[in-house]
Amino acid sequence: MSSIAYEPKRPNIATANVQLPAVKDYEQVDNEIAATLAPTKAWFASLLVAIGCLLLGASAWIYQIHQGLGVAGYNPPVMWGVYIITFVFWVGIGHAGTLISAILYLFRAGFRTTIYRCAEAMTVFAVMTAGLFPIIHIGRPWKFFWLIPYPNWRLLWPNFKSPLVWDVFAISTYLTISTTFLFIGLIPDIAVLRDREKNPIRKAILSFLSFGWRNSEREWRHFARAYLFLAAFSTPLVLSVHSVVSFDFAMALTPGWHTTIFPPYFVAGAIFSGIGMVFTIIIPIRKWFNLKHYVTLNHLDAAAKLCLFTSMVVGCAYLIEFWIAWYGGVKPEQDYFWNRVFGQWWWAAWIMLTCNMILPLSLFSQKLRRNPTWLWILSIFINIGMWFERFVIVVPSLSHEYEPWQWTTYSPTWVDYAILLGSFGWFFMWFLLFVKQLPVIAIAEVKEIIPPRMKHADGHHAHGGH
Amino acid sequence: MMQGMLGHFKELDSTVEAIEALKKAKLGDLTVFTPTPRHELEHAVDGPPSPVRRWTLIGALSGAMFGYWIAIWASEYWPLVVGGKAISTWIPYTIFGFEVMVLVGALSTVAGMFVNSRIPRLTMTVGYDPRFSHGDYGVWIACAPEKHAQAAEILKHAGAVEVRGER
Repeated sequence: MSSIAYEPKRPNIATANVQLPAVKDYEQVDNEIAATLAPTKAWFASLLVAIGCLLLGASAWIYQIHQGLGVAGYNPPVMWGVYIITFVFWVGIGHAGTLISAILYLFRAGFRTTIYRCAEAMTVFAVMTAGLFPIIHIGRPWKFFWLIPYPNWRLLWPNFKSPLVWDVFAISTYLTISTTFLFIGLIPDIAVLRDREKNPIRKAILSFLSFGWRNSEREWRHFARAYLFLAAFSTPLVLSVHSVVSFDFAMALTPGWHTTIFPPYFVAGAIFSGIGMVFTIIIPIRKWFNLKHYVTLNHLDAAAKLCLFTSMVVGCAYLIEFWIAWYGGVKPEQDYFWNRVFGQWWWAAWIMLTCNMILPLSLFSQKLRRNPTWLWILSIFINIGMWFERFVIVVPSLSHEYEPWQWTTYSPTWVDYAILLGSFGWFFMWFLLFVKQLPVIAIAEVKEIIPPRMKHADGHHAHGGH
Repeated sequence: MMQGMLGHFKELDSTVEAIEALKKAKLGDLTVFTPTPRHELEHAVDGPPSPVRRWTLIGALSGAMFGYWIAIWASEYWPLVVGGKAISTWIPYTIFGFEVMVLVGALSTVAGMFVNSRIPRLTMTVGYDPRFSHGDYGVWIACAPEKHAQAAEILKHAGAVEVRGER
């Protein structure tokens, strides 16, 4: 027994500063998390609503394909509208998942343990949703594959200097790696479900998905190494993806867009919006799935601090944009920013500033950081505010370029709104299906937090984790 | 060698004790099952470092090279001449080098994990029990039948709640 009392070579990731006092043993973890998989009437009702929204959006898209892009609200030269706004919005939502699962993993932030699975799944479905919008936006969706470089009979290749081609590489890589990261983390948990399953059909499916995982030390050793490298790859990837998305704007000589601040500004905004959506999702889940003793107030408090920090970074970027316009001395740029806040688009800009800069300051209060109801309400404001941030970036710039004859307005049509609503239906349909098929909390990582059963409870303390 | 003894443990320290005793007795190769990774077991088993890192490095380098190559080759093959701009431009093409490096590097990491972990596996093979994913620990020692008794004795002495021979 002498070897059990030693100092671990490296700090434990899952247990760092995290306690789950109401979770006593491994069996409780399995039983309580597996219990969340039983479908309920409320879940079916939510799924029906999501599918209904999706069908509405799909119908609007079919109508648009039939009638042409004229049924959307484009008004030259405002030829980027709700679809590009919503594309950037969903890509942004997809960033918090990788931040929480990969970046916080590398930083040994233990509070990620019980929320990262939800955030990772959210990332995958958000990027799936985002990927639809450039295809919707091009109007002839059957030609989207022209953006992909492949040998073809036309002997044509895409323009590798175009930010749109950079986007194709960045987004498709991000979707692939996020999905891989989510699935690799799920393998040990699927093995737990497989070993509990009595239904032979479900057991066969789970056996297939778990790849015959059997929890051997060898498997865990390679798993831990692979997981670390995936996290190390995902971290710069998440920073690069929204930087590349920001280049769609920053490479254009348009007032308000052509600025070097865009990559860090977009990345911070993306992480902020993603954390907002994590709150929107995780707070109802912890309540309805009886997981309050897993996703504790301490976890929410820590995530709220991250939310506050990113809000302040975003707020700083908003203010610096004005400063750059003033200090740069370029008249169209100055006019654009004045028009943004006090002119034509004041209402959108003030929704953005209120939701993203002012309301999150409430999180300086610990009482509010530990109030799930307030966090959920705030998260809705953040979601709205971040959609409007992209509106404010896209529309005011295009509607107020250099020449007065270019100045115009923009109003989305019912088709734009229906497709926007459909995107939420698409996202939540996948998420709802996910939460009833696979564990929303990482079973194996939560077990690392729980003290293992010991024969000798006489001061030999165990240190777990990979 | 697919014959051996399986010890089933409820406690972590008992499992560590069994691993150390079996290694000392040099009866055969060990496989340890644990519901969650534990440093205690990692130290007791003292396995070699994972070679997954080599897969990662090779994949990442290959991906970076391919990402640069596809952008440069396609630009030279189908030149889109813009005044004052080079046909192949290194700075934007670093985006392709980076993205494909991440893509291939990450996928080869997963491939390395699969190959080294010997998954996908069609059957659970001998020495596995569903309780090992739930909350219990297992120690499987692959050894010849004449050593079964000694292995069983060590496992029981360490605190195994169940010991059984498998083949």
